[in-house]
Amino acid sequence: MDNPTLPIPISYISGRYLLFSIDAVTYLRREHHICGVLIGTLSQLPQQNVFLGLPLELMPEEARLLVDKGVACIVDEAKAHGGMESLAEEDRRQYLRELESQGLHASRLLSDRRDQNREQVLKKLDEKSRAKALKAKEKKEDKDVSSPASEAKEEPLDLVAPEPTTSTPASKNTGRQQAMGVTPATSYPPLPQPNSSQHLPPPEVPLSYPLFAHLSTRGYFLSPGLRFGCQYVAYPGDPLRFHSHFLTVSSEWDEGIDLMGIVNGGRLGTGVKKGFLLGGPQKSRDEAESEAERVESVRTFSIEWAGM
Amino acid sequence: MADKDEDAIRGTSVEATQIETDLSDETQDFRLLNHLNFLTDTASSSLPKRGEKDFEPNPTEFQADVLSASRQAMHNALAHPRLHNPNTQVIGIYAPEGPAPPPGVNLEDVSKFGGKGLNLHPDACVCVPIPKGQYFKTMGQADRWNRIWLLPEEALFLVERGSLDIRWPTEITGAADGEDAEELSIPMSLQAAYACFIGRGGLTLERYTVFTGLRRTGYAALRAPGWDDTQAESSMDRNQEHVFRYPQRRGAGLVGVLSQVFNWVRDPFCTASTTAGPAVGCGMHRNYVDVYRRLAMIPWYDPSLAAERDPLDTMPPFRVVFHIFKPSTPIKKTALPPPDFRIAVVNTRETTSIPTLEQIGTLLESTPLDPPRGEKMQRMLYMRLRNGYRNVILAVVDQGIVSYLRLADAAFGKEKLYETQAPSSASKRNGNYRNKKR
Repeated sequence: MDNPTLPIPISYISGRYLLFSIDAVTYLRREHHICGVLIGTLSQLPQQNVFLGLPLELMPEEARLLVDKGVACIVDEAKAHGGMESLAEEDRRQYLRELESQGLHASRLLSDRRDQNREQVLKKLDEKSRAKALKAKEKKEDKDVSSPASEAKEEPLDLVAPEPTTSTPASKNTGRQQAMGVTPATSYPPLPQPNSSQHLPPPEVPLSYPLFAHLSTRGYFLSPGLRFGCQYVAYPGDPLRFHSHFLTVSSEWDEGIDLMGIVNGGRLGTGVKKGFLLGGPQKSRDEAESEAERVESVRTFSIEWAGM
Repeated sequence: MADKDEDAIRGTSVEATQIETDLSDETQDFRLLNHLNFLTDTASSSLPKRGEKDFEPNPTEFQADVLSASRQAMHNALAHPRLHNPNTQVIGIYAPEGPAPPPGVNLEDVSKFGGKGLNLHPDACVCVPIPKGQYFKTMGQADRWNRIWLLPEEALFLVERGSLDIRWPTEITGAADGEDAEELSIPMSLQAAYACFIGRGGLTLERYTVFTGLRRTGYAALRAPGWDDTQAESSMDRNQEHVFRYPQRRGAGLVGVLSQVFNWVRDPFCTASTTAGPAVGCGMHRNYVDVYRRLAMIPWYDPSLAAERDPLDTMPPFRVVFHIFKPSTPIKKTALPPPDFRIAVVNTRETTSIPTLEQIGTLLESTPLDPPRGEKMQRMLYMRLRNGYRNVILAVVDQGIVSYLRLADAAFGKEKLYETQAPSSASKRNGNYRNKKR
């Protein structure tokens, strides 16, 4: 797990924020508690929806938080990929050579593994047949030594089995190795990293951003929560290992809240053994000069159904 | 002492209750993936069981180790490269300008065949010159030169699952000419594919997420006629016209109810009148059915009478954008069977409220009548109600997480409980006079 160079470029594609680099994804998860949502297909298990792969979709709030921390920057990917046109001949050739060597490496790994597997299987077969032969011999010795004809018949069995171990792997192994085709996850290289003048401004965020930032800086892992009937689900640690503690809903300080909303949230949260967390900044967007100031003024309330 | 604590924690972590069974509902422990051997045999691998989670972080090394193992497993799974075996590799070529005849064919020859001459979807943007493999049965369109053209979502899905290798066209990367060009074409990265295909021809990331989510589990998803949001404005006038005619479409409607009332008043055998006397009327009532029928004064909506609408009369995003076919439905690309499901895709960040009655109404009326059929439906009242007469599925996408909601037009008014035969439990009570009479 290498640490990526900062700031991490977040791809802005058609209004959404995506990450394609695995190192960036692991780093942000580990160091900044940003989980995002994996939306891609895992190429090794493409027919299920339980484990998904790259890219990682980030909420605008997550992208904004990272940009405000100075950890990430936003890159307009459509524009950046216009750079494919101006790729130098030299770079292109070098990139292709690189891909080919990756492909060769992969195919070598694969064939090695195949050989290993085959050897294991053959070894097992060998042991089995040997054990069989041994048994047969013992039996015969037990029975009688007077039937040499049957012994001659049994003999070849012993010889046939070990033979493949010596012949097949050798013949396959020396065969030509073709490079596998590789579809890289990111376009950098061959594209050059865009410089800071090409970065986009920080993402627009919804009114709930201060609450999001507040909880995130206090170590919570947040993920989109509509599926559970709230805005964000707050986890006390990495969602890989921990259950969530709070169903979170943000509200402006002067905004009226429907009492039924609180009752519903409280009941829903208690029903799934989570707290219902209501919170928001005390300063409205008109009163505060920046989002950071709003983040400072956040207060949170937890509502639990006592269930008397 | 520390060991004692750790033991205690280890003990409790096993007791985690497993209430939910939907694995895709929550973040899964990627360590489970380690048990599967990807590179050798994917066919035999089955999905792992749900992982166990702890309540909250504690400062034990045991927990830290487990977490870092989980993260490492996730890292490994995600870092797995997309490889193409040279023997089965399928190569596609990105065509940023849309479908075009192969190089060397004169455009004028092509234009004889009408339109752009290719009779292909204008949004198609990846050409597969040598199509092989099973995917093209339900995806893509073939042109006259037996090349397959893929729509952006189809191409992107195939790249993502490692089944297609898309190359940058040599016009863009400007490779040398001749045979060298073939060798020097640059493979498109996943990132490049997203950058080029998302946003193209109305393909939003939300629609794509729904598309892949269904495709992964075996459904075939094809674009519906309502795909293009921009067609909403052009049909604005017609839309208003429909709003005007709205009352007529609501089942019996106002006129229907009035005429019912008139019939009722003129009925010579009926003594009932709500203005003078009981609603059921005075006189002899020989069975309950008649009484109940007289009491049914509140008009109700009959979905089977509602006329069908043009899919373009609906209001985006509450408009069917995908036709979904079950894996068991045989699909012929030239003659498509009626879809098994119709899906509208909603982005929660753009549409923050649930649809209005009018939005739901127009959306449902844009789908064909699908009354409850079959022996089971005939028998079971609640299945019938749940199935409804028209139905549509809303895919609600919240930042990459999809929830599916099924909306159906239930017809409670059609289920006259007083006319149905009482269930067998009632007939067990043999002496029930009323039941026998009916």
